[in-house]
Amino acid sequence: MDFHLKLIVPSDPRFLSIARAVVSEVSVMCSLSEELRLGITLAVDEALANIIRHAYKNRYDQEIELNCQAGPNQIVFTLLDRGEPPDPARICGQPLDDVSLSGRGTHLMKAIMDEVHYDRVPGGNQVRLIKRLPVVTKG
Amino acid sequence: MERQMGSSTRIEKGTTIVDIVGQIDLGSSPALRKTLLETLNGTKSVAINLSAVRYIDSSGIASLVEVLREARNSEKRLVLFGVTGAVLQVLQLTRLTGVFEICETEEQALNA
Repeated sequence: MDFHLKLIVPSDPRFLSIARAVVSEVSVMCSLSEELRLGITLAVDEALANIIRHAYKNRYDQEIELNCQAGPNQIVFTLLDRGEPPDPARICGQPLDDVSLSGRGTHLMKAIMDEVHYDRVPGGNQVRLIKRLPVVTKG
Repeated sequence: MERQMGSSTRIEKGTTIVDIVGQIDLGSSPALRKTLLETLNGTKSVAINLSAVRYIDSSGIASLVEVLREARNSEKRLVLFGVTGAVLQVLQLTRLTGVFEICETEEQALNA
């Protein structure tokens, strides 16, 4: 199933559950397993939360553009913001053997998705989360 | 799916049990953190019931880790129970299942 979905999400944490519901339903439409659905929802949620906290410095009056491009082989979520660029050290992810209070979000994104790309774009930042989909064999 | 996060406390066998429902994310984790730290302040043993939590993100995990740290610093007990589904998945992905004391049921958490 091929489709493109675009959502403008306010940078207010109260809207995260709505964004998660959309991503979850998109995963259902793509016939993903429960585990994949949970994982993808978490990864996108973490990306949104990072934008709110770090790019927008907890300003709740900004916007995040969430795009979903679904195809037969992969699903790509692209998030665009107009905030501060990410700290390169911060997007490395948290070492797993460190029981600290921060950095796990980035680690989760990288552990769940097959590819995570951070780019500067005109006027802001872009993060792309790519998940390759299981091959469905016809029996 | 229950969207709002809620919590309540009760005492069983000298342990304060915190029952949490709903989804724990960037919006609700600060309130959870505050509740758990306040609860820990008033007791020697806390058991957190996560059986009705349908979603938790890294900010929720960070809140649990912070409370665990405080429990260790003050030599108090913190145990999680009812850890399944999405919560278990996140704890596994962040490799924290070996860091927390985790029991399957409330009874096990109270009697361990």
